[in-house]
Amino acid sequence: MTPSTPEIVFAGTNGGALTEIADYQAVGGFEALVKSRALTPDEVIAELNASNLRGRGGGFFPTGRKWSFVPKPDEIDSPHYLVINADESEPGTFKDREIMLRVPFRFLEGCLIAAHAIESRHVFVYIRGEYEAEFDVLVSALEQMRAKDLLGDVTIVLHRGAGAYICGEETALLESLEGRRGLPRTKPPFPATAGLYASPTAVNNVESITSTTTVMEIGGAEYAKLGVENSTGTRVFSLSGNVVSGGNYELPHGFPLRDLIYDLGGGIADGRSLKAVIPGGSSTVILTAGEADRVTLDFDSLVGAGSAIGSAAVIALDDRCCMVQLAVRVSQFYEHESCGKCTPCRVGTKWLTSILQKIEDGRGTQADMDLLVSVADRINGKCLCPLGDSDAIAVMSYFDKFRDEFQAHVDEGGCPFHGTSSLDHLLAPVAMHVHNEAVAHA
Amino acid sequence: MNDLVKVMIDDREVEVPKGTGLVETAASAGIEIPVFCYEPRLGAPIGACRMCLVEVEGLPNLQAGCTLTAQDGMVVKTAASSEKAAEGQNATLEFILVNHPLDCPVCDKGGECPLQDLTFRYGPGNTRMSFPKITLEKPIPVSPLIALDRERCILCYRCTRFSSDVAEDNQLVARNRGSHTEISTFESDPYRAPFSGNVIELCPVGALTSTQYRFEARPWEIQNVPTICGLCPVGCNVNATVREGKVKRILSRNHPEVDGGWLCDKGRFTYPHLTAEDRITEPLVRGGLGLEPVGWDAALDRAEELLRGADTRIVTALSGSESVEQAYALARLLRVGLGAHTAVLPEPTSAALDAFRLPLSSIAAAEIIVIVGDDDVADRAPVVDLWLRAARRNGSEIVHYGPTGTEYTDPGGAAAALQAITASGNALGGRLRSAERVILIWSGDGGGGGARLAETAHALGLEGKPGSGAFHLPATPNGRGVAIAWAAAADEDESSPEPIGLLIVSGDEAAANPAVRALAERAENVIAITMFHGLAVGWADLVLPATGSLESDGTLLNLEGRLQRLRRTVIAPVPDELAWLSNLAGRFDVELSPHAAVVFDELSESAFGGVDGSGLSGAAPLAARTPYEAPAPAPAAEDRAAAPPHSADEHFLSELRLLRYRPLFSGPFVERIGELAFQRPTAEIELSTEDATRRAIMTGDTVGVRSNGTSVELRARINRGLMAGVARVADEHASDLHLHVEVVKL
Amino acid sequence: MSSLGLYDEIQVIRERYPESLSAVMPALQLAQERNGGWLPEEAFREVADALDLTPAYCLSIASFYDMFRLEPVGEHLIEVCTNISCGLNGAQQVVEAFESELGVRAGETTDTFSLRTVECLGGCGWATIVAVNNRHRLNVQAEDVPEIVAELRGTGRGEE
Ligand SMILES: Cc1cc2nc3c(=O)[nH]c(=O)nc-3n(C[C@H](O)[C@H](O)[C@H](O)COP(=O)(O)O)c2cc1C
Ligand code: SF4
Ligand code: FES
Repeated sequence: MTPSTPEIVFAGTNGGALTEIADYQAVGGFEALVKSRALTPDEVIAELNASNLRGRGGGFFPTGRKWSFVPKPDEIDSPHYLVINADESEPGTFKDREIMLRVPFRFLEGCLIAAHAIESRHVFVYIRGEYEAEFDVLVSALEQMRAKDLLGDVTIVLHRGAGAYICGEETALLESLEGRRGLPRTKPPFPATAGLYASPTAVNNVESITSTTTVMEIGGAEYAKLGVENSTGTRVFSLSGNVVSGGNYELPHGFPLRDLIYDLGGGIADGRSLKAVIPGGSSTVILTAGEADRVTLDFDSLVGAGSAIGSAAVIALDDRCCMVQLAVRVSQFYEHESCGKCTPCRVGTKWLTSILQKIEDGRGTQADMDLLVSVADRINGKCLCPLGDSDAIAVMSYFDKFRDEFQAHVDEGGCPFHGTSSLDHLLAPVAMHVHNEAVAHA
Repeated sequence: MNDLVKVMIDDREVEVPKGTGLVETAASAGIEIPVFCYEPRLGAPIGACRMCLVEVEGLPNLQAGCTLTAQDGMVVKTAASSEKAAEGQNATLEFILVNHPLDCPVCDKGGECPLQDLTFRYGPGNTRMSFPKITLEKPIPVSPLIALDRERCILCYRCTRFSSDVAEDNQLVARNRGSHTEISTFESDPYRAPFSGNVIELCPVGALTSTQYRFEARPWEIQNVPTICGLCPVGCNVNATVREGKVKRILSRNHPEVDGGWLCDKGRFTYPHLTAEDRITEPLVRGGLGLEPVGWDAALDRAEELLRGADTRIVTALSGSESVEQAYALARLLRVGLGAHTAVLPEPTSAALDAFRLPLSSIAAAEIIVIVGDDDVADRAPVVDLWLRAARRNGSEIVHYGPTGTEYTDPGGAAAALQAITASGNALGGRLRSAERVILIWSGDGGGGGARLAETAHALGLEGKPGSGAFHLPATPNGRGVAIAWAAAADEDESSPEPIGLLIVSGDEAAANPAVRALAERAENVIAITMFHGLAVGWADLVLPATGSLESDGTLLNLEGRLQRLRRTVIAPVPDELAWLSNLAGRFDVELSPHAAVVFDELSESAFGGVDGSGLSGAAPLAARTPYEAPAPAPAAEDRAAAPPHSADEHFLSELRLLRYRPLFSGPFVERIGELAFQRPTAEIELSTEDATRRAIMTGDTVGVRSNGTSVELRARINRGLMAGVARVADEHASDLHLHVEVVKL
Repeated sequence: MSSLGLYDEIQVIRERYPESLSAVMPALQLAQERNGGWLPEEAFREVADALDLTPAYCLSIASFYDMFRLEPVGEHLIEVCTNISCGLNGAQQVVEAFESELGVRAGETTDTFSLRTVECLGGCGWATIVAVNNRHRLNVQAEDVPEIVAELRGTGRGEE
């Protein structure tokens, strides 16, 4: 993974990993924790506010603010919980896993700092079930910390997920952690007041928490100097798709998207040309090559371009990609991951997929094009949680920006790429189920 | 009292207490917010179906109205006044109908289906779904009682929430995820739980249907008759769905203080006993060839003859399931007409308890609840178990003294446990005295339940506390009403005639009761008033057909002390008891009306302080508390009711105390319903972990259970909640085992 | 597996959580490990018994999550990510290579192999990602498949 400056999250790794506690301490590990524990919780929160660190999980909510919403112990007698969202499952996103693999101690140190800030003694790390190597690294890191007595009166429990994207949504995560199906809750109440076991809870992303360590190390004001206004500090961007060298790149917010793709990422593979970019994970609005050229990687710039920074997962698509196939595949993902609680998402995502598939197969009519828009519109904004909406928003952005390509499918009665598209006949898990049933009935 | 807030809905201003649900708030303004998944009785709203979408001023997206509560100054627009909301609801309906079959004409729910109605009012004319609907195997049995049509299911999760959040049986669940989600039990296990039938009523479409009701009737051919369930002392309010003079189904008729709109499966599914094969439809007399049918005149002549023959040497055994009027009529005939005052009455419930009356619903709000007794509450008074679960969810502390309780006490130790609590220095007793809302419950036989309970409640000073009180759970539906009616008819004391000239057995519970059978051995003649051949053959000289509680007018007194009106929902295949009783009474110069209402007016004064019978229909009220009068002290015998505690080495001799119990699903009615067979207890013996381990017995093993003389084979089940030294067996499987048994692995 | 063993281990897991219901996922994960990578009916009954839950409840949980298996799986579980980034980098060719190499179609199981396609495994920068018995292999190309299969044919579960 190409090292990139300035390194905050990955500081001291020189492209390697700090999985031995001694090595981590050699680069100043746990000094931030000592410093923080010397401060009152409110002082820690003040530092976070000064840093203007915002959530790296997708919501971009100010971390310090979130913690300040958690009632003080004297205001409520139930225990406080810190829950770390390590369920990283947004397509295109793979930063948290590298953070856990390479700087597990900086991450766990951040957990202890955050626990101190919200006066919690119980930390749960909900880690994606598929992340086995990462789980093992954390287990070993925790062992080493216990041996050195760094946990104090805080217990950190590693809880493994079991394969459900929706459990990345914080309330679904809490349900899952409580031993229920991962179905999102209606808000209010918000986790800060009634989260895990109906007690005050802060839910934070792995990268947010790891950055917290740095904030306390260099101070909020220093941290705020990195990046740009409203989007301070660095961000670990996951670059993938049709680029020469994909991977994670830690960069200050405000870094030009095109430089990430062309300089750090080595440009588009196989000498193809860039067609579009998904800038912040599959849930965000797609950017045309032209738009991608103009934006910088920060909240305001991407919102300005009608998209979002989301989980900072940048997916570059070259000119071989059929946008209808992309829409089918993305919709298949949301259909597969819909928890099934609310009607518009459970039914709508599946319906969207089948309309898109029909268009891709060349069976689509003009009426189906209108139906597509109408069904997407009937999902968007009607769902219980953002998952269903995301499908409609993403798919509609492909439709709006590449309408001619959709139209061509209808007019030519088939896919204009004639089997040359990179996503041609991609077998998604949902489609696999169908094909299974077919086998079963045969 | 809650402070009021002003909410504007569709330009109509309403004032409601802060926090009132928006759906209720709108309703109070006469505005409907349509819902599917919303059902307050199932707990907090889940906002799943999205039928209730409304526009709320200041919020960009439509909101699920069911999840909102009234806030001051809130401005809400429903589909009636908001294009956006109307579009949202239309969208939801379109999504729901995407996979919903259009088989309304053959659907049991057709005509009384919320989905059908809402589609008509808010829905899309036609679906734009051009893809094959999901087709599934249908209908599949959820149990012998309930069928599930998964194509019709709209996944509102009402049924699964009932199973997990109300009955807490966790038998009916959602499996899989997303569009593959489906309602299911575990593999091929049936939904086996006391309250399963409620999911049928909760289902807003025709997905969950009653196997007994399927295709039996169409909504426009039926009539719902309000009455009371006469099968247990709770007296849930029900509607009997009647078609062509037959009961086709029993539905809840929500009495918020009594049943909260729930029914147990016994009350819901046993109605077909009215048409049981061995139902007796004409009088029978014993002849050379056993029981032979006779006409009514002959039967009544024979009855008169037997009565005169025995003059006062008559003993009457009552079931406790008779209506107040039936019991009173019998008493008038026998006590006034013949001076026969001797009766075997159901277990008494002390009148002293009336000082601690309160609605069952207040259990859900109690601070501390103390249960004493050997029996599971659900076996004696099912719906009380649901109130207790609600209480636990609301944070009440529940202490149960008993062999399966939270505090182990030996079988029969209820009275002793209560004594201990009131003894000075008892920690719990102290907390009970200081607590705001305390409720005591006696759940078991013997020990002078009601009286001991009243004494304890008095000792704890509960009569002064509004939310506090005590409930005795009697073994019979109307035992206390029957006792009162019997007493009201005359006041001479009973004698105990020997030998017994005539034994009159009233009702099926009495007819099935071994104790009564024993009396019959000593009686010269027996008159049985019963519904079923099975209970009459072999011992009765004269059998007079009985009616069921769904077939007669009358009054029942439930365990709260609430008088409720029983309504004749169908015409019985036999004359009403009151009709022939008044005829017989006439022959002994006793005047007796054949009309329940008239009979009630006659006894009301002496029995119930002159309550007006006409006020007992609908949602009957609970009479006010009466001043406390100390009951008769416990006879010395009762203090010794508790079995001598077992010592450890006694265990080693592998002697276990046999704890018999009468399961909810037992008795003459249940035995006649094939669909309920799976609900009846299996032939098993419950052992404590300790006793099982000591004998190297595992759940599933076959064990021999012996007490001097008798021996039975049963399947063993380890019950982690059972105290050591006690073995629990359902009555029907305990044959005539004695008090102490040996259990050995076979 | 002795059911007693599982029962006691689950009691230990239970201790980790303020409320024992939270132990249901780890308990099911343990049971699956002990039952050759899937959850037979008996496993549900054992977990339910150990946590005072019903088998139906445990099934409702297990069936919600992709990583719990309700049917037997082969000795080696091969999962190919076919989400966007892997798709853009030849994931479908990898799937087809496995299908022809193993002679099964994605979604099917032989006693040695189970082949499935899965959603994003979180390795997009190193597409195509293939999880073999839950261990991720990066940058897999169609031409690497025969080698991988050969290697697995030579080893038992988890040995690789
Ligand atoms: C469908 C969905 C999936 C999500 N997945 C993740 C995830 O995998 N990881 C994550 O940290 N946040 C995820 N989130 C965001 C979380 O809900 C939550 O906002 C975040 O964890 C808060 O942490 P932060 O403030 O530190 O970003 C997801 C949200 C939604 C709606
Ligand atoms: S939007 Fe989808 S994922 Fe979210 S609650 Fe509804 S069904 Fe579940
Ligand atoms: S009634 Fe509100 S979401 Fe179902």
